[in-house]
Amino acid sequence: MADRRIDLPQGTLDLLILRTVALEALHGWAISERIHQISSKVLFVQQGSLYPALHRLERKDWIKARWGASENNRRAKFYELTALGRKQLELEESTWRKLAAAVAQILETT
Amino acid sequence: MLDDLLLRLRSLFRRKTVETELDEELRFHFEKQVSKFMQSGMAPDEAKRRARLEFGGMEQVKEEHRDARGVSFIETLLQDIRYGLRILSRTPVITSVAILSLALGIGANTAIFSMMDAVMLRLLPVRNPEELVQVRIRTVKSGTEMNGYFTNPLWEQLRDRQDVFSNAFAWSENRFDLAQGGAVEYANGLWVSGGTFETLGLRPVAGRLLSPADDQRGCAGAAVISYAFWQDRYGGAEGAIGSNLSLDGHLFPIIGVAPRGFYGLMAGTKFDVAIPICTVALFGRDSRLDGRSTWWLEIMGRLKPGTVPQQLQARLEVLSEQVLAAAVPLDWEKTKRQEFLQRVLVGVSAPAGPSYLRRQMERPLYVLMAVVGLVLLIACGNIACLMLARGLAREKEMATRRALGASRTRLIRQLLTECILLSLAGALLGMLFARWGNALLLRYISTGRQTVFFDLSLNVRVLLFTAAVAVLTGILFGVLPAFRSTRVSLTSAMKSSRAVKSDTRMRFRPGKWMVASQIALSLVLLVSAGLFLRSLLRLATLDIGFDRNSVLLVNTNLKAAKVAPERRLDVYDEVEVLFAKLPGVISVGRSWRTPVTGYEWNEYVSVDSPGAPREDDSLVYFNYVSPGYFVTLHSPLLRGRDFQASDSKTAPGVAVVNEMVARKFFPDANPVGKTFRVGNGSKEPGRIFQVVGLVKNSKYESLREETFPQAFFPISQIPGNDDSEYFEIRTAGRPESLIAAVQSGVAQVNKGISLEFGTLAKQIDDSLVQERLLATLSAFFGGLALLLAMIGLFGALSYLVTQRQPEFGIRMALGAMPASILRLVLREVATVLLVGLAAGLCLALATVHVLESLLFGMSARDSVTLITATLVLAAAAFAAGYLPARRAMRLDPMDALRYE
Repeated sequence: MADRRIDLPQGTLDLLILRTVALEALHGWAISERIHQISSKVLFVQQGSLYPALHRLERKDWIKARWGASENNRRAKFYELTALGRKQLELEESTWRKLAAAVAQILETT
Repeated sequence: MLDDLLLRLRSLFRRKTVETELDEELRFHFEKQVSKFMQSGMAPDEAKRRARLEFGGMEQVKEEHRDARGVSFIETLLQDIRYGLRILSRTPVITSVAILSLALGIGANTAIFSMMDAVMLRLLPVRNPEELVQVRIRTVKSGTEMNGYFTNPLWEQLRDRQDVFSNAFAWSENRFDLAQGGAVEYANGLWVSGGTFETLGLRPVAGRLLSPADDQRGCAGAAVISYAFWQDRYGGAEGAIGSNLSLDGHLFPIIGVAPRGFYGLMAGTKFDVAIPICTVALFGRDSRLDGRSTWWLEIMGRLKPGTVPQQLQARLEVLSEQVLAAAVPLDWEKTKRQEFLQRVLVGVSAPAGPSYLRRQMERPLYVLMAVVGLVLLIACGNIACLMLARGLAREKEMATRRALGASRTRLIRQLLTECILLSLAGALLGMLFARWGNALLLRYISTGRQTVFFDLSLNVRVLLFTAAVAVLTGILFGVLPAFRSTRVSLTSAMKSSRAVKSDTRMRFRPGKWMVASQIALSLVLLVSAGLFLRSLLRLATLDIGFDRNSVLLVNTNLKAAKVAPERRLDVYDEVEVLFAKLPGVISVGRSWRTPVTGYEWNEYVSVDSPGAPREDDSLVYFNYVSPGYFVTLHSPLLRGRDFQASDSKTAPGVAVVNEMVARKFFPDANPVGKTFRVGNGSKEPGRIFQVVGLVKNSKYESLREETFPQAFFPISQIPGNDDSEYFEIRTAGRPESLIAAVQSGVAQVNKGISLEFGTLAKQIDDSLVQERLLATLSAFFGGLALLLAMIGLFGALSYLVTQRQPEFGIRMALGAMPASILRLVLREVATVLLVGLAAGLCLALATVHVLESLLFGMSARDSVTLITATLVLAAAAFAAGYLPARRAMRLDPMDALRYE
């Protein structure tokens, strides 16, 4: 299982988090699970990097947090995208797509 | 942006809430993870273990989270401070010793700095002080020599002709007697020109200040008092305005109070009362208004905005010619008058006001600043050693914290915080010491004649200085130990055996070098203390030509006594007879001046012989004395006779000269019977005097002077009936015990005579204020430095002995004699001492020459001082080293080894 994991390239964690909370408000564990699931268990976010990242994004005002009830009615902190965060997400998405396309092109031609 | 700030603040002030929320969030995550693993079929324990593994360090996450939150700097600081306080309070004795020595060091620095601040740095508390310029006068020939004193005619010319200043003013200082007869009560007075307060831009606290209208010839007089005087004498009552103040027996109405904080124009003095210049006429000193050779006023001006120094100087040079030409001293001989016209007015920027004390104290203050700086360095050395030893003892703690994930920077920061805490505590206590120290210093440099005053209230500059010193000190003694003690190898430090710590000795090596440098620095301080002490001793034991002990000095002043000028000598004669009859009086003398004071009277003397001294070389210093003067002062008469009653006002002029006059004017001959002329042929031929006696050389103005040629004349022949004379009374017992009898005796003659008392010994002591100040303070600080260095040495050695205890134990078990253990320890002392002394001697030899000008009659590289200081230091070092050495020697090998 461990060998299937890929370390996240620098700076992509923010993008993934923004993307994940873009659809609905999620708590930390759900975010890491969602990333894990959607990436077909390739990407795994260590909570050691997840929470600092969440708090960093919160400070940048890209996401905001509120306390709510979890699926089994426990108090949990939910993160959701702000308007500012949405713009940032669009920006980062397009940057990432360009980068990925460029990298892919290089890999295919050489 | 604002949100960001709010979030930061929220996390700072609601740290608890934020931390709990973080805890809750992380716990929630952890539990979710556990339940996920359990759902996939793991046993609860296994699930928890897996989750924890994946989790990584919970604390690490929190720490990173705190970083992300962005308040960690302040938060860590607070945390470090709390932890530091806890650590420091765990060793109360060491902590208090450290704080105390820092307080002494920082306190001394603050005290001397606030003195420097008051003497040299502080600007006058007036409007735009940087525009103020002092006008001085330069004699063209000598180029650099300048004088700040002017005659009133010169001032009036300058005032009316000048166009570079928006306004100018003149002033002079004077003591006034507030009492009307009896014991004097002096107030510091200022004669000021009418525009002074206006030019300075000062506003009255009550009433009004003097204006140009108050300063007209023939004025009635009005007085402005200082705020402090108003408070002290009138309790700040409004009724003081309009009441009368008696100055030397003349009544002046008080018209107003100067602003608080304005103490006058000269640093080191404070004025009590200011009256206009025109009032000198009321005191019967009209000559001062029109006298063209009475130099008594100082002049300052406020530059017109936008005037540059070059413009000022150019204008003043043009002005000089007109001003000087209109106020030439008419009684001067022709060549001197021409010379006078060559002089040039010079403008010197004086935002802090002129101060003679400043020039006098500048060098001593710099020296003292260096001395206290060194003391603080030595104290730092001690605390650094202490911190180093403590750091090594905390090795395990450091290793544990490193293992738990603390970065080295983080640990260094923690240790430095502890150090700065120490030094800040030291600084706080030190400020208290500084206040006492300053009060003491001021009392010390004030003499009977002059009370020195400085406004030493705390100001921003002094506070900043102290804070900067404290932080720098903390860093200085903290950096090395912090770096050393955080450089731990994790594995070896975690083992508890002391055998593996054999490298502690190596790592304490900087401690040894620190002690060596402390020794070097204290040697420098000891040497300078020794120099100042020896110099003072030389001055104090100098042959001054008379006996200073058991002589009461009484100044009698007839200003307020309403005695007709021609009756004055009779009144003095009457007083003298009365004094001679008092019980306990051995003899009584009378004179125009007393020795070793600033009052001087000199004139050119000529004799009719080819090789006689001319010009300035023929200047002789005068005094007028009674027949009992030489006997009373024990000033030996070498040839001829003393004055006698027959040398009366109408008798032919006679003089007693000192050996210096005899050598200069009558070489190779007996001066008795010879004659000389006073005045070198200016406008009148000058009076002729016959020498009737020869006395031993004595000091005239100060103990440091080269021997002055002096001539004494009978006081009965003094020109122009002076209104003040001194009595010298040689007493059998303590001179002061006669004061009451003298007072009631004089009151019998005339109640209006004001009296001032002193002793000759005190007067001479007072002339050595600067020397004594330097000697006392440098001896005190030298002693302190020695003590600190010895504590440092003692501490370092004790530490080394403890570290080497097992080694000593093994040596002893293998048959080493206690003496050889002693030798081992003393060898450590000797190395440190030798290195320290060698460095100290080099440092001393390289730097002491700056003290040369402050010493009297000795070289700064005085070998006796150098050798004594070295020996004292060596003896002290071995004494300090002996205790730890003895402990090592008396070690029981069994005990020493059992530790293992």
